[in-house]
Amino acid sequence: MTLKRNVRSRFVRFIGKKLREDRTTLQVYSRDMSDLPSLVSIFFKNIPDGVILASSVEDIQTIYSIANETKTPITQRAAGTAGLGGSVTYNGGLVVDTKGFEQKFFFDPLEQTVTINPSYVFSDLQRELKLQGLSLCSYPSSYHSATIGGWIAHGGHGIGSAQYGGALEQIVELEVVLPTGHLVKYTERDHISLFVGSHGTLGTITEVTLRVKFDIPLKHQGCTFDSPEELVKGLGEIATTFPHSVWFLNPKHVESFNETFGYNLPNRYVAIISKEVSFEEEEMEFNRLFNNAIRNAGGQILDRRYTEDIWKFRFRSLSMLKHCSDYVVSEVILPIESSDKYIRKLISKFKGNIHLEGEFISPTHYALLIYVLSEEKMSSLKKTLLNLKLFKLSLKSKKVKGYPYSTGLWFSGFYGQIYGKDELRRYKEFKKSVDPKNISNPGKVLSPKFRFFPIVSLKFVVKLASRFML
Amino acid sequence: MIMSSLTDWHVDVLEYAQKCIYCGYCSLCPTYKELKWETNHPRGILEQIKLYFSEGTKENVKLEVSKTLFEAVFACTMCKACENICLVDIPLIKIWEQVRQESFKKGRWSPSMLSLYNKVKDTQNIFGLPPEERLIWAKLSGLVMTRRVKKKAPLAYFVGCQASYSGKMSEIAPSVVKILRKTKTNFTILGNDEWCCGSPIFLAGGYSVGKSFAKHNLDELKKLGVKRIVTACSGCYRAFKIVYPRVLGESWDFEVLHISELANELIQSGKLKLKKQIKEKVTFKDPCELVRHCGLIEAPRNVINSIPNVRFEELPSNKEEALCCGGGGLLKLNDSDLGNKVNSKLISEIKYSEADIVANGCPTCLDTIQAGVKKEGLDIEVIDIAELILRAMGEKK
Repeated sequence: MTLKRNVRSRFVRFIGKKLREDRTTLQVYSRDMSDLPSLVSIFFKNIPDGVILASSVEDIQTIYSIANETKTPITQRAAGTAGLGGSVTYNGGLVVDTKGFEQKFFFDPLEQTVTINPSYVFSDLQRELKLQGLSLCSYPSSYHSATIGGWIAHGGHGIGSAQYGGALEQIVELEVVLPTGHLVKYTERDHISLFVGSHGTLGTITEVTLRVKFDIPLKHQGCTFDSPEELVKGLGEIATTFPHSVWFLNPKHVESFNETFGYNLPNRYVAIISKEVSFEEEEMEFNRLFNNAIRNAGGQILDRRYTEDIWKFRFRSLSMLKHCSDYVVSEVILPIESSDKYIRKLISKFKGNIHLEGEFISPTHYALLIYVLSEEKMSSLKKTLLNLKLFKLSLKSKKVKGYPYSTGLWFSGFYGQIYGKDELRRYKEFKKSVDPKNISNPGKVLSPKFRFFPIVSLKFVVKLASRFML
Repeated sequence: MIMSSLTDWHVDVLEYAQKCIYCGYCSLCPTYKELKWETNHPRGILEQIKLYFSEGTKENVKLEVSKTLFEAVFACTMCKACENICLVDIPLIKIWEQVRQESFKKGRWSPSMLSLYNKVKDTQNIFGLPPEERLIWAKLSGLVMTRRVKKKAPLAYFVGCQASYSGKMSEIAPSVVKILRKTKTNFTILGNDEWCCGSPIFLAGGYSVGKSFAKHNLDELKKLGVKRIVTACSGCYRAFKIVYPRVLGESWDFEVLHISELANELIQSGKLKLKKQIKEKVTFKDPCELVRHCGLIEAPRNVINSIPNVRFEELPSNKEEALCCGGGGLLKLNDSDLGNKVNSKLISEIKYSEADIVANGCPTCLDTIQAGVKKEGLDIEVIDIAELILRAMGEKK
């Protein structure tokens, strides 16, 4: 127990049994999807001092009120399925688990919107919507576990974003408890955009109204390409067919796919393109556009019997990790037209032993998941070095106008690179006005001071380490 | 006879815990959805296992971890939803069973768990009732079973504790017997020599007693020259299909059938004719032990769809995605309130389906769904699939 006695007693008095401080609970809440090596504790204190399972707006308001009085850092956590440390504490404090919220589902058939609390898991929400003949516009590949709130806080892109955009394009209204304790509802895009990708640093999302759509069946097509250059050219051509989703794998990842799911796909770049199709004529038109696009790019069309099948594994691609003992992951967003050199660089840096998986997030950009797999369990030092190497390479995407997928803890300090300088300025102003004591998820989005040497920022230390330790 | 030892039964829990990639897909766990603490999340339990089972973990740390760890594994319904969705194929159910064993070794079972264990050990049934009353169901339904008890036959009907003793399940065994008689199937029952299949004991983590039960049932069935076993209990079915082969090895060489499988077979061969219409809308609740543990999906559906003009509607979550009733994994014993909460989700799906009859193939599901339906004040009949078959045969109860 490291909460100060007076702080603890304040929380216990108002929150009661929703606060836990036992060693086991703290340990369980000390990580997200990235299994960080113990050495990274040099950079941050990921074990919280307490965990609160919040279940209502009032709980969040009470937590902020006490946190402000006692200057206790609050780190919100939803499903913890991202790997950027956004839901892990930077310097201790309290983790506030928002999964405790009671499920709320209100469907407005006239407006085609759904109002839910942010702890809803995508697959659960989609199931409810399907019963009404509707569907989510876009959703992450961690569809079976990620929550709506976590997705928004993380930046919100995914399958369907090529057609419908990301979280920002789908949010109609956002209810947030600000760090001041005020409950506010935002409907203006300017305000909502501040919260998308803010990792809870501007407040805690308590309710979301999302735009939904009719449940239109998806038709899939597949193609293969020989080289990164051909792939990038192909992706550019495919973008002209207005797809719903474009998912692609590099040859190394295709190899794992074949091994995991028992396929015999060619050892090339494989892309699966999906499009919403309501009528036969639409499907014929899609097939025509697709065939032309692939012909223009010099790719080969995959036997259609396989593509429907392959799509079934869309949400199971992490299964490929079962054949390795350890892994390191990063994710960047790249522009389609200029990313071939970056892909080549990634491959050469890891001598081909790198797994890449991309998904369109707009007609011009895609998110690229980068996995480095190891057959043996890595030592803490080796894993730290590999993490730093991947960090460095992720930053190198800037050369082709790419950027990290989100900030979180690892990429704190790169908000401007992701969202632009104007947005950064607006973000900073808003942050200052609503959270002057910096208690709402400190250490994320804006780079914190390095714990052991608070003259320099964490961003500087991690960059320095990635440059000189490798 | 080659039988497995406790070591064969064990899996390397620590190695598997380290394989977890923390994707969180197992968040569909029905009890985690209610309790909501990450310590009750299957991946959170694996994190605790890493702490508890790691070499060099100090005893005081183990003791502290064990409090939440044991609580979490006993709050599990063993529905296997987590294992089925696991992306890296971690055998979570085996792991939970092993942690439950560890809890037994450390003397950390709850009093209700111990009481069940002792009852089963002493009386060979889960109710602690006299073994000589195992045939009470036959007496109460007016069936004479004397000529069937311990008779040499290729097929044995394993009645199970719940259908034998529980008044709530009194229609199951007579229905099965009537189906078998009507189709002129040569069968036997073990009568008073039928022992609990051991499923609750294995689920609780008691290995050796469970094994002795398995051995007893094996010997009794072998004596009668049985080749096939039929049961209407999904717990017994799972025990025979999955647990016994692990415990008894190759000596367990029986073909195991659920009543829906046998009925489907009899329908296909023309021996069983479902001629009476059932006008009510019917739905089927897939028991976790049938669908996720044993992969039995189509047989009950084929049987129901063979009923003339049947109005069959699937529940929104069906087949491998079926919701848990909240009664499995001994949760009813450990935390009945939690079980009821889990159950309420299933009841709302049943309500949504607007079915008049909910058929299923598991006495535990039957009991919990009946209770949930009653609590909600719904006018829905909850019956075992054997009863539904009997009705469709045009037979009186």
